[in-house]
Amino acid sequence: MFEFVLLILIPLLSAGVCYFLKNIRLQYSISLFVSAVHLLLSLLIFIGWYKTDLPFFFSTDSLSKLFLLVLSNVYFWVVLVSFSYLKRPVTPNSEEGKRYYFLLLNFYLFANTAAILSNHYGMYWVAAEGTTLSVAPLIYYYRNEEALEAMWKYLFLVSIGIAFAFIGILFLTLSAKGTPLEGQQLFFSEFVKQAGTLNPVWLKASFIFIFVGLSTKIGIAPMHSADVDATSNSPSPIAALMSGSLRVTALLGVMRIFQIMQPTSTYDFAKTILIIGGLLSLLFAFVFMFKVNNYKRMLAYSSIEHLGIITLGIGIGGLAFVGAMYHIIYNSLNKVVLFFSAGNIHHRYKTREVDGVKSVLNILPWSGWLLMISFLSISAIPPFGIFFSELMIFEGMLFSDKPWILAVTMFLLLFIFINMGKTLFQMLYKKDENENIAVEKEHFEIIHFAAIFLLILLIAIAVVSPNILRDNILNISKDFGIKL
Amino acid sequence: MQNVLSILFCLSLFYLAVTSRVKAYVAVLRFQGIILTVLLVFPFINHFSVYAFILPTTLFIVKVILIPRYINKIILDLDVKRMIEPTIQQFTFQLLVIFAMIIIFVTSNILSKSTSIETIPFASGFSAIVVGIFVIIFRKKLIIHVAGFLVLENGIFLFGTAVASELPMMIEIGTLLDVFVVVFLMGIAMNKISSTLSGFDVTALGRLKD
Repeated sequence: MFEFVLLILIPLLSAGVCYFLKNIRLQYSISLFVSAVHLLLSLLIFIGWYKTDLPFFFSTDSLSKLFLLVLSNVYFWVVLVSFSYLKRPVTPNSEEGKRYYFLLLNFYLFANTAAILSNHYGMYWVAAEGTTLSVAPLIYYYRNEEALEAMWKYLFLVSIGIAFAFIGILFLTLSAKGTPLEGQQLFFSEFVKQAGTLNPVWLKASFIFIFVGLSTKIGIAPMHSADVDATSNSPSPIAALMSGSLRVTALLGVMRIFQIMQPTSTYDFAKTILIIGGLLSLLFAFVFMFKVNNYKRMLAYSSIEHLGIITLGIGIGGLAFVGAMYHIIYNSLNKVVLFFSAGNIHHRYKTREVDGVKSVLNILPWSGWLLMISFLSISAIPPFGIFFSELMIFEGMLFSDKPWILAVTMFLLLFIFINMGKTLFQMLYKKDENENIAVEKEHFEIIHFAAIFLLILLIAIAVVSPNILRDNILNISKDFGIKL
Repeated sequence: MQNVLSILFCLSLFYLAVTSRVKAYVAVLRFQGIILTVLLVFPFINHFSVYAFILPTTLFIVKVILIPRYINKIILDLDVKRMIEPTIQQFTFQLLVIFAMIIIFVTSNILSKSTSIETIPFASGFSAIVVGIFVIIFRKKLIIHVAGFLVLENGIFLFGTAVASELPMMIEIGTLLDVFVVVFLMGIAMNKISSTLSGFDVTALGRLKD
């Protein structure tokens, strides 16, 4: 019960407190404290030093422990840099956005934690919709036309998507007709236990609706458009939050039903759908990387690419599944660094167009180098973690019954890498004629500290490979019936 | 009784397909809200309990009073014109709706043979989902999109009663609150869109693309 209060009620309370406090610094201190406590407790739960005993509708298993840690970690760094971000001057009408910033962030933490810890599909749905509601106004932070359009599209499309997911949940209850689960509550754990008795036709329908509906939130093609608009037009801490944790929370909903389908005859069907979704996402990222001229949109497409790889890994199963779990962690860390650096560049150059950004390495040495290193990292260059997780996914693909997927994936990834690299190196190195006109040197800020720390963490986790993490991921694989 | 109410619900969908006035959409939303409330109250007529009335009351307040009032307020504030501005001819739209509903009813009838479902409420709920999506696709005004979204939500609700899924009350109320807040945020966004982008239909939203 104690952890329920700390993880779920305190963020809600702190959101309420932020509403009444006028002082941004005070709001920041409270939010930072809450996020630090949240991170600490998530870590303790993950390590196993704290045994959870959550009330009705909530519970923890290996999967939710991992996702909770991912959320807590991303959220902590986002809150940490938020104050220095809010201090930056913005247009007068965006001042209004600052007032509700921490309130919405705290509410996001509340809703997202509830979604991750829920053991009940209905609860998951309500909480997942809550995350949309808290993120949508944050997208509109800059109070300009693009942000408004992005917010509208995100709110509308994701709400419809999540309504579809609700239809899927209703189909899940239909699949339980005539089984011991009929008339029972929609607890994941019960459904997993009785999965063999479920009606396969309704189960398939349920999976399709839940997958397509939540795709709008995960950002899996072809439902990704609102997600790209939202990530590219929101302030960079929010973009980091969405790419690093929100998409993963939506993925959790899909993984839950995938877990239910695992012992049934519909398992292969679900795997095929996941593989199609993953490959389509890679294809869309591949196509749009050729013509993208906005670097934040490019990063948003990179998010789609990596969620595509994760979905593909889950769909393939075996070692690729284990790799996908590692990829979730590494991708969340890496995306935070990428978006933080991109945010610094946007702040200095006041544009998101690639053509307007030149000679970043001279003008913004810290952010420039961090962007370059994090780009190398996201492109799976060793010794960064993504290299190891992608290697595992690729190995899984090679030894699966569909090795041709590896060839397709490698081909798409190669061109995504080339196009992304071309664009980024142009921004970093291309000389600007007006470069010598008095440019103020970039100071070392807390954002750079966070980025460097996360990059070190990215290497450290991969090189040290802590046993606790490995055991946890192996437990998840066992829950999903994966034999290694 | 459930069947009669579901058929009334279907008739309201036909009315949506025929009408071209914005106000009629709000009236339909209110009407559907009342049907859903009655549907929820109905099983409790014989064994009355205060607890059982919490959900219908919340539903009534949210779907019959708050949301229609709020949408009416937006229509007044933004001075939305009376017509709905369809993107296809009204007659084609009607044909589309009728055609979709026939398919849904026939399919549901076939499905009901293998699974025990209440065919008419099931098919009516699903029809509302499809009609809601049609309204969103074939209408230009953003306010009508919101109405379409709400029709879709009502459809899901009816559909939920048809599959006799028993979600706990706390979660049902949670979903209602979520929907209300979504509509509320959409209303705020529409206000901003009409003032900054000077328009309240989808043509005003074309800045973001690759």
